[in-house]
Formats: sequence, C-alpha cells, structure tokens
Amino acid sequence: MADIASPVPHTGATTRHPISLGARLWKSRIEYLFLVPGMLVFGAFILYPIVASQYFSLLQWSGFDANQTFIGLANYAELLGDKFFWDAFGRSFLFTVSTVPLQMLVSLVFAIILNNKLLKLSSLFRTLIFLPVVTPVAVIGIVMTIMLSPFNGPINMGLLDLKLLARPLDFLGDPKLVLWTLAGIYVWKWVGVTMVYWLAALQTVPAELYEAARLDGVKNWQMTLFVVLPMIMPFAIVIALISAISALNVFPLIQSMTQGGPFFATEVMEVYIFRNAFATAGAIPRLGYASAAGVFFGVAIMGLTILQILAVRHLRNRETANGA
Amino acid sequence: MNKHPFSGMSRRQFLAGSTALGALALTGAGRALAQEFQIPEPIAELSADGPFRWIDSGDQKAVFYKAFLPEYGKARGIETVYDGLPWNEIGQVLPLGIRNNTAQDAFCLPLNLPPAFAVAEGWVQPLDDLIPDIETWKAGFPAGAFLEGLNVFDGKTYGLPYTSARVTSAHVLYNRKYLTDAGFDPETTPLTWDTFREAARKVTEMNAGRAFGFIMGGNQVNRFADITRCLANMAGQPCGDTSIGLGIDFRTGEPVFDSDEFVGAVELLLAMQQDGSIFPGVMSLNAPQARAMMPQGAAGLILQGPWNIPQWERENPDFDFGIAPTPAPEGAKGNLIVGALAATSNTMFINARSKNAQVAADVFHYLGTEEGQIAWGNVVGPSDPPIFPAAQANSQMSERAKAALSMFEQIIKVGPNPFARNPQLAEVAKVYKEPTPNLALTVQGLFTSQSSGVKEQLTTLVSETNKALDAAFKAAKDAGAEVSRDDLVFSNWQPAQDYVAADYEAL
Repeated sequence: MADIASPVPHTGATTRHPISLGARLWKSRIEYLFLVPGMLVFGAFILYPIVASQYFSLLQWSGFDANQTFIGLANYAELLGDKFFWDAFGRSFLFTVSTVPLQMLVSLVFAIILNNKLLKLSSLFRTLIFLPVVTPVAVIGIVMTIMLSPFNGPINMGLLDLKLLARPLDFLGDPKLVLWTLAGIYVWKWVGVTMVYWLAALQTVPAELYEAARLDGVKNWQMTLFVVLPMIMPFAIVIALISAISALNVFPLIQSMTQGGPFFATEVMEVYIFRNAFATAGAIPRLGYASAAGVFFGVAIMGLTILQILAVRHLRNRETANGA
Repeated sequence: MNKHPFSGMSRRQFLAGSTALGALALTGAGRALAQEFQIPEPIAELSADGPFRWIDSGDQKAVFYKAFLPEYGKARGIETVYDGLPWNEIGQVLPLGIRNNTAQDAFCLPLNLPPAFAVAEGWVQPLDDLIPDIETWKAGFPAGAFLEGLNVFDGKTYGLPYTSARVTSAHVLYNRKYLTDAGFDPETTPLTWDTFREAARKVTEMNAGRAFGFIMGGNQVNRFADITRCLANMAGQPCGDTSIGLGIDFRTGEPVFDSDEFVGAVELLLAMQQDGSIFPGVMSLNAPQARAMMPQGAAGLILQGPWNIPQWERENPDFDFGIAPTPAPEGAKGNLIVGALAATSNTMFINARSKNAQVAADVFHYLGTEEGQIAWGNVVGPSDPPIFPAAQANSQMSERAKAALSMFEQIIKVGPNPFARNPQLAEVAKVYKEPTPNLALTVQGLFTSQSSGVKEQLTTLVSETNKALDAAFKAAKDAGAEVSRDDLVFSNWQPAQDYVAADYEAL
C-alpha cells in the first residue's frame, strides 16, 4: 500500500493527487475538536508561562509595579557572575545525580521481587511502597521534621538507644547532613513510582523466555542478571530521564522542610528562583531576574533531555543493527 | 431611687469590661461566651456593592477580624469576607489583585513595599473625603501616628496606623523555675550579655541534657537578624530596622554591621553555642516550633516577642514564665529602635478602585476610636498592641502582658524614618537589591560554621550594603527621583529619645 506522501508510480490509468492539509484537517475535524480543550489548557498553563517567563527575563521588574524596564540580556549577564546561582545550579544536579541511581536501583530490586507471581501479599507490599507517593509533600515535610528532630525525634531516640550515636544528629540543621537527608526522604517518597515503571517494563519480558530459561536449569539470580535485565535495559533510559526531571523539580519537599537552608546548604535552583521572585526578606522581589534563572535552568533541563533522547535512539539503532 | 448596677461604672470601664468578655471567649478561657462588639452608628450613608473584603497578615489580627467583621456585617446588613494570609502570599496575591482589579477593599501592603509606592502607583485612595471631620478623628491618635511620607502624602491621609510598633521580637522570655534554680531573677535584675550566657550555661548543666539554656528558631533565618540587631541596639549601637534603613546608623547614614556591638552580639551567640548551652537542633526549628518547646521545658531562655505571652497563658496555664528586656552588656544604655510609632506593616489602606470604600472607611473610623482600640487590645493583647495609650492601659490583658508593654515603653524608641523625610526614597527601595548574604544569612552562616571570621564577614556585609545602596540611589536618580545618600543622615537624632515630627522639621 502506497503512503499518501510517497510518490505514486505513474501507471497511466489514474492520477492520485495528494490530499491538501486543509482537507485532511477538515476530514479529522471531530478529532481536532476534542483536542481543543486540552490545547487551551496547555496554552494557558504551560505555553503562556513559558513564553511569558522568557519575556520577563529581559526586564528589570519586581512583579509589583507597572514599570517594566527592558534591559535585554542584562539579567543573564548578572546570572553568570552570581555565585549563589551557580551553587544552586550545581546543587540541583548533585541532588539529581545522587538520588536517581539510588532510586532506580532500589525500585528495580522492589519491582523484580514483587513481580514474582509466587510471592504472597505482593499487592500489599506494592501498596505500602506506593503509599508515600500519594502522600502530600507538605505532610511528609511535617512528619519527617518531627521524626528527624534531634531533641525527641524517634529516629534519633532509636539510634541513641541502640548506642549507635553518642549525640543526636541534627539531620535538617547540620549543613553536612541536610542535603543527603533530603535526598533520602526524596528517594523514599518517589521510589514507588519508579517501581511501577519497572513493573511495567517487566511485563514486556515474554513468558516463554522465563520458561525456556527454567528448562535450561537457570537459577533465579542468573535469570534476573542474564535474561530479564538485558530485556528491560532500554526502558532504563526512559525511566532515568523521567526520574532525573522529577529530581530537578524538588521545590515542594525542600520548601516545606528547610527553605533552602541552613545558609543555602539545600538551595537548589527552584528555591533560588523562588527566593528571588517572591521571598526576598529585605528587598523588593526581582521577578525579571528570577525568570532569567528559570529560563536558564529550563534550557539546561532541555539539554539533558535531548542527550537522553539521543542515547535512547542510539540504543535502538544498536538493537536494530544487532537484530539485522 | 434604686441605683443601676452599672451606674458607678465609667464609660471606659464599661467598654473595657464588655469587650473583655469577648476576648475571653476568643482566647479560649471563656469559649462559651460570645464576643460582643458595640458597633457604633455608621459615619456616613453606606451601600455595599458585593461583599466587603479585608486582607492582612492574619496571626492574632485574624482572631479579631473573624469575630468583628461578621458582627459588623450583621449590624450594617452587608456581607464581609476576611483573608488572613502569610506575608509571602500577600506579596504575591495583592499585586496580582491590583493588576486584575480583584484586590480586596481594604488591605495592608506587602512587606518592604513603601506606602509612597502604592500612592504613586494609584493602588490606594485618601481617607479625607470618606471620613467626616477627619482632623478631629486623627486628633484622637497619639502624636507621631500620622506622618507625611508614611501614611500621609501631600497632606492627604491614606493609611490607618492603628497598632503600635513599640514591640520587639527579641526580648527575654524565660522559664522561671530553671532560672531561679540557676540563681537568676531577670525580672528584678535584667540579664547582661555575661549573665545571659552564664544563665544559659547553668541551666544546661543543671538539667544534664534534659533541657538547655537557650533556644531559638534557627530554621527561620530572619531570627538571626532580629536577635543580632536587637542585641547590638541594646549594646548601644542604634540603627534602622527595615528596608533601605536596615543596619543604618542614621546619625551618619552608614551601615554599622561591623561595629563592635554587632560583632559582639554575634560572638555572644557563637560563644553560647560553644558552651553547649543552645538547644541541639535549633537549625531545624522555626520560631513557632521554638516557642512551643519552651512550655515543654526544653529550654530556659528564648528571645522572642510578646505574642508568646497570651499563647502560653492560654495553652499552657501551668507554665511559669517571666519576661525581661533584651540583654545588654554591663553598663550599656542602648535602646531598641523602631522606624515609626505605628506598625507600618499593619497599616491599612483602602483600594483605590474599591466599590466599598465608604464601608472600609467606616471600619477604619471605628478602629481609630477608643472603643475600637480597646476592643482590639482585648482580643489581640500585646501581640499587636493598640496604638492609643489609653487603650493599652484599659484593655483586658494579663499583668504580664501589660508589664511587657510597659517595658517596651522604656526600652524601645522611635527612630528616624527616611521615607518620612523624603517619600521619593520609595524609588530607591524599589530598585534596591539587598546583598546576598544579608545580615540574617551572614549570621546564620557563621552560626552553622559554613563561614568563619565574624568581623571579616560583617565588614564584607557593610561593603556590599554600601555598594547596593549606591547602585540603588544611582538608579533612582537616573529615573528622575530627587534622592541622595544624605537623606539617610539625621544629624539631630538622639537614639535615647523618640524621633518626632518636630525633629524632621528641624533638619
């Protein structure tokens, strides 16, 4: 069957003209009509803010007043020399690099264990692991602040009772500990989602492969290592991409627990942007400058995404080549 | 003739007593009682267009308005809506509301937004045509409540200055048992820096890890600035407290973060930390959490505001605590400095595009009468005290709360306010980029050992503040504002005395 856009061999009998774009749109008008509400929401809440923030990034503007002074790329130039911007930028990626591998590994282990149909109560365990995902971040922030309190928090009390600590640890107040504490809480909260991704990936492994491997006398760990993992590895890139983007958007957790402190120790990019845009303690906010930081950060995330898409494409091409 | 049971009661006593019943109801001690407000006749013919809406920063103010506005609405036959939001949300919600014409009828301004800016931008409208015989009404306020450049512009009155700013967020509140056991009585002998440190150390030692000497909300970074500035003020280094005046000694117009008093204040905190006297985990606590720890016996001393008093009295009636001034070095005769007599953050304005401006003015008028002020004092207590001295005296507050207000009269002085001198400084404030780290973050960094060298860090802060001020003044001048750094110099300022309208005129 010839593709509409592909050249049709001239047979001399009939000539088929390509259908115009307008005709195709009209033909699918019902489908496009159904898309309109979604597009409107997308335009209002995603596209417009993106475009607006790019425009704001070129202004000196507090967000308060009507006076918006166009200053070109001056905000971006200032960003380049802002130590706190680069610190926050680096911290965001440090947070991502430290959480994503751990989150992927732990969730993969959970998924492989829970994918075993012989495991009793697997649904219960899945629910328990998924429970933090549906718990509001603000609630987790409050509960964890209590749990980790150095004065009477149960975690410190337990560690002290077990003689593992001589003095309580200030998990959220010690600048050397705080980022890693938040990373741990983040992984605990979101590991359930990644586990679901892995479980979906595991469904794609054909049952015949398991049967064939068993017939060959393969042990469980060998099956996981040499049969299952190679089959689901292509999914790892996509899961890593989703997890990385999620880890770069960690504002609610940090804002609810440390607000970027102490002394910037947990100030990731989103907190930095928020601080400049809204939370200036002693000065008028700088919405234009914060927008520039947001645009810069958005471009960086886009770059990361493109890299991962290229990696996926490379893997596919390699698989295709191997298949051929 | 039988004497009426209330005939021997003065009008003032009656007002105080009747609103006190309401206060009891609201503060928990008498929850079964209903708050009753004596809503006076309206000041003019009122007609509401839609619900009358009021927004401010909540806290104890919310307690008052959630009781008062429904009563007021019932008396006037109008619907009322009250929004009490945190400051950061007011900073977002109000400008958006102004832009899209959905802002409340009456509002306070976002923190650090000079009123001159709101007037210049046409956000607010004057009260002069809304309140009949406004000069008589204004005469009921204490001298200094209305100041050109703060709530009066070009002779027109825009703001309602109904709460006193003579309040500090860093006076001593202490566990009486712990301090007595340690041999200290701060109410009789106010703590010096040395005895403050010594008391904290002894309380820690005596409680062997079950309680500590001093606690603060270190997670709430502004606490480091407030505490440091107040300690330095009491040590004899006066300076401004907000916006472009923060840390400025108005006698010279220069920032003084690197003065011996500021350096000493930070070193005092670090020394107490070194002593092990500070509650472990203060960096994980915000101010309300630190406040909640005190009645649990977690610490002996805290530097916070008088809003703790009614809260502890209400929720922890068995907690025996005392109040005392902010510690000062031995022999120092400093005062805490506030930028105006009226709390500028609480000053209320009427939306220029409000369709219920006359209703707002009616409420403003009530809050500026003795009746309204006493009702306010009864409900809100010392947290945001009424600005009328008579209302402070006649409100039904605990003896401890009244003692706190009396103490503030002694130790807190009204300093110069640059905006009252030159309203065009609002243009400077608009473009001022406070250095990062600012005072609060600089002290927090030193406290958490993420930076070192107290004098060096504070000297850097002075240098960065000067650069930021110079840049802001230049930008404002380039934009046409008639301003100069000399506007921050008040050569006739004597920090031990209130800076009043006559002093501005004498400049």
